[in-house]
Amino acid sequence: MAILIRMPEVLANVTEATIQTWLVAAGDSVAAGTPFAEIETEKAMVELNSEHAGTIETLLIDPGQTVAVGTPIAVVREPGDSDEDVAGVHSSSDAQTPPSSSEPQPETSFKKSKFVTEVTHEESHTSEKSHASEPSSRRFMSPIVRRLAREHNVDLSEVVGTGPAGRIVRRDIDANLSLRGSGNQTSKAAPPSDRMLHTESTRIPLTGMRRAIARRLTESKTTVPHFYLTAHCRVDSLLEIRGKINENAERKISVNDMVVKAVALALQRVPAANAIWGGDHIQSFESSDIAIAVSTEGGLVTPVIRHVETLNLTALSESIADMAARGRAGRLHHHELEGGSFSVSNLGMYGVDEFSAILNPPQSGILAVGAAVEKPIVVDGELTVGRVMTVTLSADHRVVDGAVGAEWLRTFQNLIESPLKLLI
Amino acid sequence: MPKRTKLHPESSWVKLETTAADWKRAKPELLKTMLGQLHLIRAFEETVLDLAGEGLVHGPAHSSIGQEGGAVGSIVGLTTTDAINGSHRGHHQFLAKAIGHVTGGELSLPNLVTDEIQTVLQKTLAEILGLAQGYCRGRGGSMHLQWFEAGALGTNAIVGGGVPLASGNAWAQKHSDTNDITVTYFGDGATNIGSVLETLNLAAAWDLPLCFFIENNLYAVSTHVEEVTREHRLSGRGVGFGVPAWRVDGMDPLAVHLAMQEASEYLRQGKGPAVIEAEVYRYFHQNGPYPGSAFGYRDKTEEASWRERDPLLRVANELIALGHLIQDDVDSVREQAVSAMSQAANSLLEADPQHKDKRRIRPELWPDNNFVDVGIRGNASELSERASLEPLKQTSTTETRKFVDVIASVMDRRMDEDERIVVLGEDVHRLNGGTNGATKGLVKRHAGRVLGTPISENAFVGLGGGMALDGRFRPVVEFMYPDFLWVAADQVFNQIGKARHMFGGDNDIPLVLRTKVAMGSGYGSQHLMDPAGIFATSPGWRIVAPSTAADYIGLMNAALTLNDPVLVIEHVDLYQKMEEVPAGNLDYVLPLHQAALRRTGDDATVISYLSMVHHAAEALDQTGLSADLIDLRWLDRASIDWDTIERSIKKTNAVVIVEQGAQGTSYGGWLADEIQRRLFDWLDQPIMRVTGTEASPSISQVLERAAIARTEEVVAALTRLKENMGGGC
Repeated sequence: MAILIRMPEVLANVTEATIQTWLVAAGDSVAAGTPFAEIETEKAMVELNSEHAGTIETLLIDPGQTVAVGTPIAVVREPGDSDEDVAGVHSSSDAQTPPSSSEPQPETSFKKSKFVTEVTHEESHTSEKSHASEPSSRRFMSPIVRRLAREHNVDLSEVVGTGPAGRIVRRDIDANLSLRGSGNQTSKAAPPSDRMLHTESTRIPLTGMRRAIARRLTESKTTVPHFYLTAHCRVDSLLEIRGKINENAERKISVNDMVVKAVALALQRVPAANAIWGGDHIQSFESSDIAIAVSTEGGLVTPVIRHVETLNLTALSESIADMAARGRAGRLHHHELEGGSFSVSNLGMYGVDEFSAILNPPQSGILAVGAAVEKPIVVDGELTVGRVMTVTLSADHRVVDGAVGAEWLRTFQNLIESPLKLLI
Repeated sequence: MPKRTKLHPESSWVKLETTAADWKRAKPELLKTMLGQLHLIRAFEETVLDLAGEGLVHGPAHSSIGQEGGAVGSIVGLTTTDAINGSHRGHHQFLAKAIGHVTGGELSLPNLVTDEIQTVLQKTLAEILGLAQGYCRGRGGSMHLQWFEAGALGTNAIVGGGVPLASGNAWAQKHSDTNDITVTYFGDGATNIGSVLETLNLAAAWDLPLCFFIENNLYAVSTHVEEVTREHRLSGRGVGFGVPAWRVDGMDPLAVHLAMQEASEYLRQGKGPAVIEAEVYRYFHQNGPYPGSAFGYRDKTEEASWRERDPLLRVANELIALGHLIQDDVDSVREQAVSAMSQAANSLLEADPQHKDKRRIRPELWPDNNFVDVGIRGNASELSERASLEPLKQTSTTETRKFVDVIASVMDRRMDEDERIVVLGEDVHRLNGGTNGATKGLVKRHAGRVLGTPISENAFVGLGGGMALDGRFRPVVEFMYPDFLWVAADQVFNQIGKARHMFGGDNDIPLVLRTKVAMGSGYGSQHLMDPAGIFATSPGWRIVAPSTAADYIGLMNAALTLNDPVLVIEHVDLYQKMEEVPAGNLDYVLPLHQAALRRTGDDATVISYLSMVHHAAEALDQTGLSADLIDLRWLDRASIDWDTIERSIKKTNAVVIVEQGAQGTSYGGWLADEIQRRLFDWLDQPIMRVTGTEASPSISQVLERAAIARTEEVVAALTRLKENMGGGC
């Protein structure tokens, strides 16, 4: 039977994506794992790999075209498929049914199914049944809402509709605008007034990535109860060991590599911290999958390194370097951007002493790592000079209580300050 | 055995034929004038058929060739202030009247075509071709030829449709101290239609100087008169109505003339209407250049026998026999007529540059596209003659009066001031002010101007239409119930509503039609409609629907000032209400585009009119919704107050249009359509509508209530509107 490839839900809550480039053409043979297309989402550019072996029958979407998740994008003819098989797939593609995806679904897609449930519930007490069966990405909104959104530069994806069948109505956008007016929503600062527009300034249209960063971090900062714990870690030993390792190593290990390793081991030792909020449950993880914040030209991407607890420092370092390089080149696979319970954000290389970070949803922890600097310290009642790195843990209080967070941070500090443990 | 006494009709019915003595006695000038007219008309009609054959006449060209004798014989004796109107086959009558008008009634055969006649021929041909220089600026074409100054009231494409209008003109002539007459021409096919028979009755009842001139050409398209009526001597229709009738050979123009002389003597004496039946024959089919025999409903022998009696031949031969003319004179008349038509055609046509040997209309002669909607109504500048007033806001002293008494008072006041106003309708002169008291006291104070009509809505509203087209009177017609508009639909919509536009845009139609919505009164399925929707979707009419007595004064005064047909809608629920009106002021107008804001608020715009304004106000009170309540006052496309509607919707973003009557004929459909196009970007929810159900309201009290909208239905709509507003409220 021929295979209908649909636009995957590359990231949780991403409702649409763009085919940036087709890496294959109709008639090309593909094997499982063959890069298939480059897909740009609001978050990142990723490669889509074929899961099936066969021949590309048809490409249904033009490069540059943005389509909803679940939309058929290509048909693959498997060996032995008849023309009827292919035609059958084609006709089913017309129905534009939701994704019974050929791509692995991230576990965190619960929000999407919840949305569908809500819509159905709404529909059940209105007469407008026709939309109930289409959990499409189309959002209904009244004409005045479109006008006001245009005039006030409101991103309607951030507005919840309370009208019939979830229609966004005037009251909803009014509420959004009044929040903006009262300054409650940091990302929704009032648009520049006319006066401001007359000064020397440039209006830069939002990229998908910028919009996603704005949306996700606003959501995180305003809906996730953050708390912050700071520790000053003495890193003289760590730097010494790193120097020794690097003397003979082909691959130079960075302080950050060691921090990531320490984070992973701390999560193993304090498993209560290795979990995320699931709305009606807590999702607990066994492995330490750590997201690394990588700054790129267009903004931030956070590829995830899996099973960090099992990687030795060299392998980890290679993995981080590879992810960072591919992230900057827009060459990450979408599954590499998914999952993880914890992030590391390091601004030490910019000379930042200490800072606190915003959680990267749905993760429940992020460690903000400052520079290792020489500071006066007291050792056994005597003042001396030591290298100190200040780290701040931001944690989701819904999952991680203060005591758990403190225990984790102590464990982390202990690992950093006894760096041989990182090599075992 | 019962006793039997033979009854005799009140009126005479005769057949009139000429004798040699009549021809000898006839003035040679009369016969020569008839010959000239016959030839001009024949050449004209031949040209029209030629152009039709070349594909240059858009639409049908109903040729009168063969029938010229009836028109010429009957019109040659009329004056300019006498009037005619006619049917789809009316070129010959129009030309005879127009030529009579420009020449004063006599033609000179050696110099047949004067400049004035040449102009008439060209303008008439231009009209038939649909060109801007035509009498109706190209709007009327072949079937709507009007030249009011010449006494040509307008021909008509609805069979029998012009007859009621002609009776209105005759009424105006009779009541303007003239002895002028009106002749209405129609064919054998029209003698069986209601408009003609209703008008024959009405004109006879009111002794109107109206001649019913039947051109019996034996065929209604292809159907022979003997197939569709038993008394096919059609002049016999007159006898049943007490109207004298003449039957005459229409191929003999002198016979027609003599019959018309006898009839017009009777008419001019004010004795009432007359019927003349002229037996004529159209040589061609209904339209186009082929004989009827080509279509198989008659044979060539029959056609040949009629052609032998051709009126042009007859008059020429008689003139030659009497020694008044020689054949060369007759040939010269023919040549002059043909040449004049050739000149008329050449001034409208040119060689088609794209098709060799073909002609085309000179492109510059077409009307401008932008003229398409000009003159559907007048420009309403006449309203500025009267002081306008927002009655209860700009008046300090008020008095309390019953709504229905205010109707009678404002009518009385206007009738005092404007002698042109005439009220007509069923029972308006009796029952102390008609069935509801709206004309109370008028009949005593304005004798002869409050006319109780026969139960023939089509005839009497058409009579009103004819009075309004004439302009010497200003009719106020009452329909006892709005559903009667269907009975009178031809006159109301095809004639009165379209006349100004169809005849070129200038002909004022100052007519007021009053009617009352009676939902709730138990009169059942055929009496309880709201007519607003039907009138609003028909061109030409203005509509007012006052919800208060104070508004009624201003809106009725506006209606009685405007030179357009105005529908004034009343409601039985309002008649007995005691209301505040400006004390002692019955003279203000409420101008166009001036709706009233009865409530103001932020969350919805409720648009209504008539009694439903009160129900909407009650519903707002009950729901506590903050809303603008717009009382439209003026309902038609041209007069509605868009400023108020737009301002309100831009504020509230939600609209409910509230009316009482059945869905199908409801008013709000066009308005909702217009609102969504003008204000789409301002809407926060679908435009809501309150109407009755699909059914026409039944007699049963329970079913009637279920079929119509009142306060409860508005409350339900406002509740839904609130839900649509979202925000969890």
